[in-house]
Amino acid sequence: MEIVEGKTSFAGKKKHKKQDRNRSVFIFFCILPAILFLVIFLYYPIEETFRLSLTKTTGLSKEVFVGTDNYQRLFHDEEFFAGLKHVFSWAFWSIVIQLPLSFFIAFSLTYYSNRFTRPLQAVFFLPNVLPSAITAMLGKFVFAPNYGLIVSLGKVLGWKWLASIDFLGNPNLAFWAIFAIATWAYSGFYVIYLMSRIEQIPRELREAAELDGASMWSYARHIVLPELNYPLRILAVLCTVGSLKLFDLPNMMTTGGPGNATVTLGITLYRHGFINWNYGKAAAIGVVIFVLSLVFTILQFSLGRKKDEAI
Amino acid sequence: MRMRREQSAGRGRSSSRVHYGMSEIIITIVLVVLAVITIFPLVVPLLFAFKTQLEFAYHPWAIPEALRWNNFAEAWKAVRIDQGLLNTLIVCFGSILCTIPSAVLAGYVFARYRSRVTEILFYAILIGYFVPVQMVLVPLYRMEVSLKMNDTLYGLFLPMAAFGIPFWTLIYRSFFKSLPRELAEAASIDGAGHTKTFFRVMLPLAQPATVLAVLQVFMGAWNDYLLSLILLSDQNKFTMQLRVASFLNSYGTDRMPRYAAAVIISALPTLILYLVGHRWIIKGMLSGAIKE
Repeated sequence: MEIVEGKTSFAGKKKHKKQDRNRSVFIFFCILPAILFLVIFLYYPIEETFRLSLTKTTGLSKEVFVGTDNYQRLFHDEEFFAGLKHVFSWAFWSIVIQLPLSFFIAFSLTYYSNRFTRPLQAVFFLPNVLPSAITAMLGKFVFAPNYGLIVSLGKVLGWKWLASIDFLGNPNLAFWAIFAIATWAYSGFYVIYLMSRIEQIPRELREAAELDGASMWSYARHIVLPELNYPLRILAVLCTVGSLKLFDLPNMMTTGGPGNATVTLGITLYRHGFINWNYGKAAAIGVVIFVLSLVFTILQFSLGRKKDEAI
Repeated sequence: MRMRREQSAGRGRSSSRVHYGMSEIIITIVLVVLAVITIFPLVVPLLFAFKTQLEFAYHPWAIPEALRWNNFAEAWKAVRIDQGLLNTLIVCFGSILCTIPSAVLAGYVFARYRSRVTEILFYAILIGYFVPVQMVLVPLYRMEVSLKMNDTLYGLFLPMAAFGIPFWTLIYRSFFKSLPRELAEAASIDGAGHTKTFFRVMLPLAQPATVLAVLQVFMGAWNDYLLSLILLSDQNKFTMQLRVASFLNSYGTDRMPRYAAAVIISALPTLILYLVGHRWIIKGMLSGAIKE
C-alpha cells in the first residue's frame, strides 16, 4: 500500500488526514473479528489455564491458591506417568513403523506410475478421511473378542490360539491393537504427502541415475531419500506432536484401560478434569501438553521452513 | 515413460529387461495386497450385517442366506445417524462462516498494510497456532457453562473457529503477499478505496485459497470429537461422532451383525463424501499439509 501513502504525501494536509483515518478504520475492522474470536475463546482460556493450574478447584468448592502443588502431585501420579510413557512410545513407534511403511508405498507408487497408481493412492488415503469415531468403531470391529474380524478369521482357519485372543482386554496387547488401527488410519496422509514430494524431484535426476545403471533400490537410497530428508523430518515432528495430543482412538476403544494400559496425556487430562472434576490438576496437565508441543513445534520451525512449505 | 525405461534398461543384456518387468509386477502385487488389507475392514461388515446372530455364529464368512434388513433397522434406531448428521452439518457450516471471513480479512491486512502495530497483532494471532486444544478445555468448558453456551451448536463452532483462524490467517497472508503489487496499485489509481479494492479485486483473486480453506475447515469440523465431547451433553445436540461414540459405549460387539450394520450406516456419509470429492480432498489435505 505504499502507493496510497505516496499519493497522499503530495495531497493537502486535510486530505492526508482523512485518508489516513480511512486506512486505520479499514485495518481496524478487518482485524477485529479475528482478534475478538481469539481473545474470547483462546487468550482468556489460556490465561485461565495457567491460573487454574495454580489453584485447587473442583466444580463446587471455592478456588484455593496452592502454588505449584498440582505440578508436584503430577510427579507422584502413576496415571500421568503411564500417559507420558505411552505418548512417547507411541511417537517412537509411529516414526519407526508408520513412516518407513508410508515411504515404501509412496515410493513404489510413484516409481511405477501406471494405471494402478491413482486408484491405489485413493485407496490408501481412504481410511484417513474417516472421522475418529468411525475408525474406533472399526477398530473394535476388528479386535473384538468372540466375534471380531480377527477372531472370526482364526475360527475359520482353525487356529484356536488366534480365536481366543481378547486384544482390547489384554493390557499387553491393547496398546498395539490401537496402534495398528491408527497405522491403518493415518499412514494414508503420509503416503500422499511423500508422493507429492517425490513427484517434485526433477525427472533428470532419475534419468541420469538410470543411464548410470542404478537399480530401483539404489535410486531410492541415494537420490530419493536424501531429497526427502526435510519432509521426512517434518513428518517425524508431526508424529510426535500428534502423539502428545492423542485422545480420540484410545478413549473410544478402551477409555484408557485395561487399568492404565492405554492411557495418554489427553485421557489423563479428561479423567482428572471431566470425570473427577479436579480442574486444577487437569489445567496443570494442559500446561504440560502445551509446553511439550511448543518444544516440538519450535523444533519443526527450526528445521528450516522452506518458502513454499506453508501452502 | 514406460517405453523409455525399457529401452534404457534393455540396453545390452536382454535379461535385465525381463528383470525390470518382474520387479514392477512384484511391487504392484505387494501394493495391491496392501490395498486389499486397507479395504478389508470396510468390506467385511457387508458380509456380517445381513445375517442373524445364529447364522453368523456358525458361518461368519459364508455368503448371507438372505438379505435381512432388520439389523440395519435396529442399528439405525441405536445410532440415529441422521440426527447426528444434521447437527454435524450445522457445525461444519457455522465453522466455515466464522473462520474464513475472519481469516481472509486479517490475512489481507497483515499482507498489505504492514506497520509496527499490524506486525505485533499478527504475531499475537500466530500464538494461537501453537496452542493445543487440550490445553484450554477446562476453562473453555467453565466459560461456556457460565455463559449458558454449552449444549448449543454455536457454542461448539465458535471456539472451533477460534482454533482455525490463526492457521488460515497465516495461509491467506502468504497468499496475498504472493500477489503482484501492481494489482492493488491499479485499483487505487482507478479511485477504488480500501474496501472496494479488497472486495472487487483481492477477494476474487483469493478464490483458490478459499476453496481449499472451505474444504479443510469443513473436514476439520466434520472430524471433531474432543470439543464436542466436552461441550455437548444433550443427546439431541450430539454430532455424528458423538452418536457413534455413545453407540460404542452402550452397545457391545456381542451382537456382531447389528454392530456391523451400525458400522455401515455410520461410515456411509463420509464414504459418499470421499467418493464424490476424493480428488479435491487429497488436494486440500496436501495444501494444508503441515497443519496439525
